[in-house]
Amino acid sequence: MEAGRLDQVVEKEIYVSVGPQHSGAGHFRMVLKLDGDIIVDVIPDPGFVHRSVEKIAENMLYVQIVPLVEKVTHVDASNLAMGYVRAVEELSGIQVPERAKYLRTIACELSRITSHLYFFGIFGIFLNHSTMFMWSFGDRDLFLDLTQLLTGTRIAHSYILAGGVRHDMPQDFPDKAMKVLDYFERKLEDYYKIFMLNPVMIERTRGVGVLSREDAIRLGATGPVLRASGVRYDTRKDDPYAAYDKIDFEIPVYKEGDSYARVMVRFREMQESVKIIRQALRDMPEGPVRPKRMVPRWPVKKGEHYARVEAARGELGYYIISDGKAKPYRLKMSSPSFRNLLILKHLLRGETLADMPAIYMSLDYWAPEADR
Amino acid sequence: MDGGVYFGRLSRVVEALRRFAGKTVEFDPIRRLVNWGRLYSLWPVHVTTSCCSVALGAGMGARFDYERFGVLPFGSLRQNDLIIIEGTLTYKFAKRIRRIYDQMPEPKYVIAIGACALSGGIFRDAYSIVKDVSKVVPVDVFVPGCPPRPEALGRAVMLLQEKIRRSKVSGEPIETPIVVR
Repeated sequence: MEAGRLDQVVEKEIYVSVGPQHSGAGHFRMVLKLDGDIIVDVIPDPGFVHRSVEKIAENMLYVQIVPLVEKVTHVDASNLAMGYVRAVEELSGIQVPERAKYLRTIACELSRITSHLYFFGIFGIFLNHSTMFMWSFGDRDLFLDLTQLLTGTRIAHSYILAGGVRHDMPQDFPDKAMKVLDYFERKLEDYYKIFMLNPVMIERTRGVGVLSREDAIRLGATGPVLRASGVRYDTRKDDPYAAYDKIDFEIPVYKEGDSYARVMVRFREMQESVKIIRQALRDMPEGPVRPKRMVPRWPVKKGEHYARVEAARGELGYYIISDGKAKPYRLKMSSPSFRNLLILKHLLRGETLADMPAIYMSLDYWAPEADR
Repeated sequence: MDGGVYFGRLSRVVEALRRFAGKTVEFDPIRRLVNWGRLYSLWPVHVTTSCCSVALGAGMGARFDYERFGVLPFGSLRQNDLIIIEGTLTYKFAKRIRRIYDQMPEPKYVIAIGACALSGGIFRDAYSIVKDVSKVVPVDVFVPGCPPRPEALGRAVMLLQEKIRRSKVSGEPIETPIVVR
């Protein structure tokens, strides 16, 4: 084509690379195929944090894998450990004391709240809402303090082990927890007024990135993304573990399927988590929390087993093949973030480039979890 | 200098002036002034290599607030002077990190946090990670921990400021290197 012939100019699609060095894309890169401002296609490029967790696990004792799988999603450590420990326990029929089940529930729900607060902070930054970032990260530290009181560390706590939990809660934990929960419930109302009713937030997320109920089921969405599309599915209710079958709580479901609904599901889940922790503290029976002797070599039987839990980002599955030795033959993780990555491609097609952050972030994609 | 081809004599004068200026800025009041400017504007690149970004995120939040030290994550590489490598660095990411480092203007500093950045940590047996980050980019401060507490990262920033305070305008250290106390 000769230069300067305007009538011969063909509008071509251009490729834009987003990430990994990008304010917020995190450890993830995607190549967007753009036609003007409209996204025609998305080519995700995951694998920046592939650390071969499944392969390393084959050379580790069962007890050593607990901190390993927690590293996969640092913000949501207890839920990750819970899934692995559940798989091991169900495979080899290890009994768990009743009190330990309640403590596990508390640890998991604290983990879920901190993870959702992390999401709210990052989502706020994406929408240029710095107040939300500061508020949610400030309140997240309160819950990390509670976690530290319960487990010993802020983030990577190998608290849940096969046969129970590592130790009982300290005596002043219920009082302090109640104080934080009371404060947080009041604060959540402010969150709703400041963030969820914010005109900018509503404009940028409502009706953006709509995932229909059929598509959500067909593409294998999970967790809050699935529940925001009107599917009532939660592993805590459908396949209960820990003490969830004895606790009364609701599953927030929204029919809209847009980014706003996905954020709203997480908001309501935090309220439910507060309720769950309250009930668990109230109903907790007395008794031991673990067997008298914790052995480093867990008695895992020969066989294979799949177990799942509801992590903050969705259903998390572990598949263990054991040949009866000290180390697993194979450990396979099915992580919710990777499943939601498939939906990203479906959602972004046909949307504008400016809506990309609101859609991408509303999936709460956690790259180390997807890459493993 | 391009002008040197045409203005030979002038370029020699300019060169002499530059040498003179280069020595002059290293004198104490000017050096201190320049270093003071660098101390409180350590803007890290917006790049997260792995899961220790959780510790950094908490540090940017309300309680720890690294903005007190002038640490403000910023999008554009041309205005950054700090990379914080958070945890594991995979081979795939190492290429990007080197590219990001090369694009940043001088002087630039690197803080590597997490056990994985030091030695591989719990992932030391993995086939896809760089065991020692200093093979990819020169590291100024290492912070151990899995993950380190936000306070430790704040201390790393203070140590880096101490290092800048004790260095020439050109970036070379003027006294003995600091020892982590």
